[in-house]
Amino acid sequence: MSPRRASSTLKTGANSPLHPPPSPRTSSLAYSTSHPMSPGPQHNRPLIDFVTNEWQYAPDEELDDSDREYFEDKKGKGKRADAPPLPKWVAQAARVQIPRRVQRWAAVYTTLAVALWLAYSSFLKPAWEEEKRLDRGMAHALREGVQFGANIRPTFAGLTHLKKLDDALVPGRPGSTKQRLVFVGDVHGCKDELQALLDKINFNSNTDHLILTGDLIAKGPDSTGAVDLARRLHASCVRGNHEDRVLLAHASLHASLQPLPGPAEDPNTAEDDLDEESFSHGDYRDRAIAKKLSRDQVQWLTACPVVLQVGSVGKWNGGTEVLVVHAGLVPGVDVERQDPFLVMNMRSVDLDTLVPRADRKGEEWEKLWNHHEKHTHPASSRITVVYGHDSKRGLNLKKYSKGLDTGCVNGERLTGLVVRANGHEEVVSVPCGDWQSQKAKKEREEKAVRKAEKEKVGKKDGA
Amino acid sequence: MFLFTPFYLLLVCSWVAQSLPLYKRDADFLSVRTRLSRDYSGKGGDPKDKYFHESTFHPHYDGRFADHTLTNEDRRKHLIILMQTYLSTMSDIGAETWIMHGTLLGWWWNRKVMPWDSDVDVQMSESSMEYLASYYNMTVHHYRLPGVEHGRDFLLEINPHYKNPSTDDRLNVIDARWIDTETGLFIDITTLRRNRTAEVEGLEGHMYCKDKHKYLAAQIFPLRPSIFEGAPVKIPYAYAALLEEEYGPQSLTLKTFEGHYFDETRMEWLPTGSVPLRVSS
Repeated sequence: MSPRRASSTLKTGANSPLHPPPSPRTSSLAYSTSHPMSPGPQHNRPLIDFVTNEWQYAPDEELDDSDREYFEDKKGKGKRADAPPLPKWVAQAARVQIPRRVQRWAAVYTTLAVALWLAYSSFLKPAWEEEKRLDRGMAHALREGVQFGANIRPTFAGLTHLKKLDDALVPGRPGSTKQRLVFVGDVHGCKDELQALLDKINFNSNTDHLILTGDLIAKGPDSTGAVDLARRLHASCVRGNHEDRVLLAHASLHASLQPLPGPAEDPNTAEDDLDEESFSHGDYRDRAIAKKLSRDQVQWLTACPVVLQVGSVGKWNGGTEVLVVHAGLVPGVDVERQDPFLVMNMRSVDLDTLVPRADRKGEEWEKLWNHHEKHTHPASSRITVVYGHDSKRGLNLKKYSKGLDTGCVNGERLTGLVVRANGHEEVVSVPCGDWQSQKAKKEREEKAVRKAEKEKVGKKDGA
Repeated sequence: MFLFTPFYLLLVCSWVAQSLPLYKRDADFLSVRTRLSRDYSGKGGDPKDKYFHESTFHPHYDGRFADHTLTNEDRRKHLIILMQTYLSTMSDIGAETWIMHGTLLGWWWNRKVMPWDSDVDVQMSESSMEYLASYYNMTVHHYRLPGVEHGRDFLLEINPHYKNPSTDDRLNVIDARWIDTETGLFIDITTLRRNRTAEVEGLEGHMYCKDKHKYLAAQIFPLRPSIFEGAPVKIPYAYAALLEEEYGPQSLTLKTFEGHYFDETRMEWLPTGSVPLRVSS
């Protein structure tokens, strides 16, 4: 506060009629007279003289009702008779005055402790226990005398287990003109959706390379069209469970030894009748697609390996090695020793033995995979798996596993993962038509029509 | 008196012979016997409706052709020959057959019969069984084999009860046999059948065998061509899932079993006694 303003306050105070005149006793205070800021002798009065304390002299009658009650309470007049006396220790405790600053500290620290405990019990502890459980499982599965993948890996004619992607197709490799790798999940014959996805990312086959994670065919509207599109773009692929079935069915149809006809089936029929399904032991659908495929298409699909070894893609995902499979891989087992059927079909892994399962009864395989890779040292030897197959879990991007099947054929989306050598990654997707339910509806209608026709014929015969 | 003249006697005899009907019978000891003078087939103690019999000395031998068991080593050797000849015969005929159970597990480990397995398990599709019954029943297939002088004959015998699809027909769960007529060892063949009662209820693709094993058609078909004991073989589609279901996941990881261990350098099951001493470091 400036001295000037102090003096003016004093002036107004002095001139106010509300205040009584100052007593001469207080004017003799040394402070007032000797104060260097003091404006002059005529204002030579200390501040204390202006304090009136009127309330002390004012009669009780002037208090309003609430005030009176308060004072009466204070004096004990209005004390309630039924209030029990507090126990001595409570009264004593109530009398202990805790400084407000201490109270504040206590509150802050209690909140912090509760928050920490919550974080620990709901996140840290389960994560830690999970970690321990996976470690124990892996250790148990890898103990002496037990090992998954100790057998001679099953091999089949017309099935390539492992293929290495050409350096010229990987961005960032010497001699490569490619800038982007595009991984696309299960297409299932949804050719138009695949085209739409490629248009959306301005796919250019000179600078981009397409890698399909299997199940390019079957279920959807245009399997052969999807294969043709992939071939035209010189895409790479892996063998999915549906390619596997269809190619096996194709091989059995074109075996050098003619397979025996079923009771009512001519194996050379080009068109299948739906009624045949019952006679052709369950692989009717696979055979129907196999019959539509041309020789070139079959050749292209047969060349798709079970495991595609991409190698590291520049700086992407820490420069880790990249493998593409359809369903999954068992952590800690060499790629060469992975069972091909399970690589194309697994959804979970039995934690006790590390044997994969086609169902979901075991541990999610990708959880175990990420656990194993995070504990693999040095980090440069870690592996990232790009896969599809599991539309139920949908887009499933983890550090070392990238699940891309987002259920296009069920009317959900078709998803692509676009990766560059500089480490940049982008997830792009397009909506899909609900082919699965359309197909089911069509089949139901066809069945109904046939049934009606049969009944008509029956009636005619009867008449 | 003239009734007893030789001419009339002959006439009556031929009339009697013609008028008696022919009864279906099985291939009994006398009709198929090779070198034995006594029947060990065990037919005598079996119910009348049972077609295939197990020998009086061991259930895995055919008593019409053998009178004793083989040593373990010999049995294994002959079992492999039996399997190889069966697979190549079926492959030649074009009959759709594939391996199952313990034999499939042996295939998974190293494409071989496991040393402790006393038999092999094969299945066949319904249409193939019908085909064999129609054209190949009681056929004898001669094989020239290395180390076997004069070669060996194998008999393909179909159980006429194969036409009865009911699992209640417990005496005839085996639909056919491939029999080594030298050692009496055989392969039991069972037919994988469509579950027609399930189909009536609207469940497609369910299958079963008369031994009451149940499968989904999608687990078996389409079949995978592979090699077993050096012969072409078919493997059910979901082989790993079938093995896990039947024997548990540990059957695919446990490297010691039944007094044997899996040697990963030779890729073979060897007797535990032959474990080489570990070099201490």
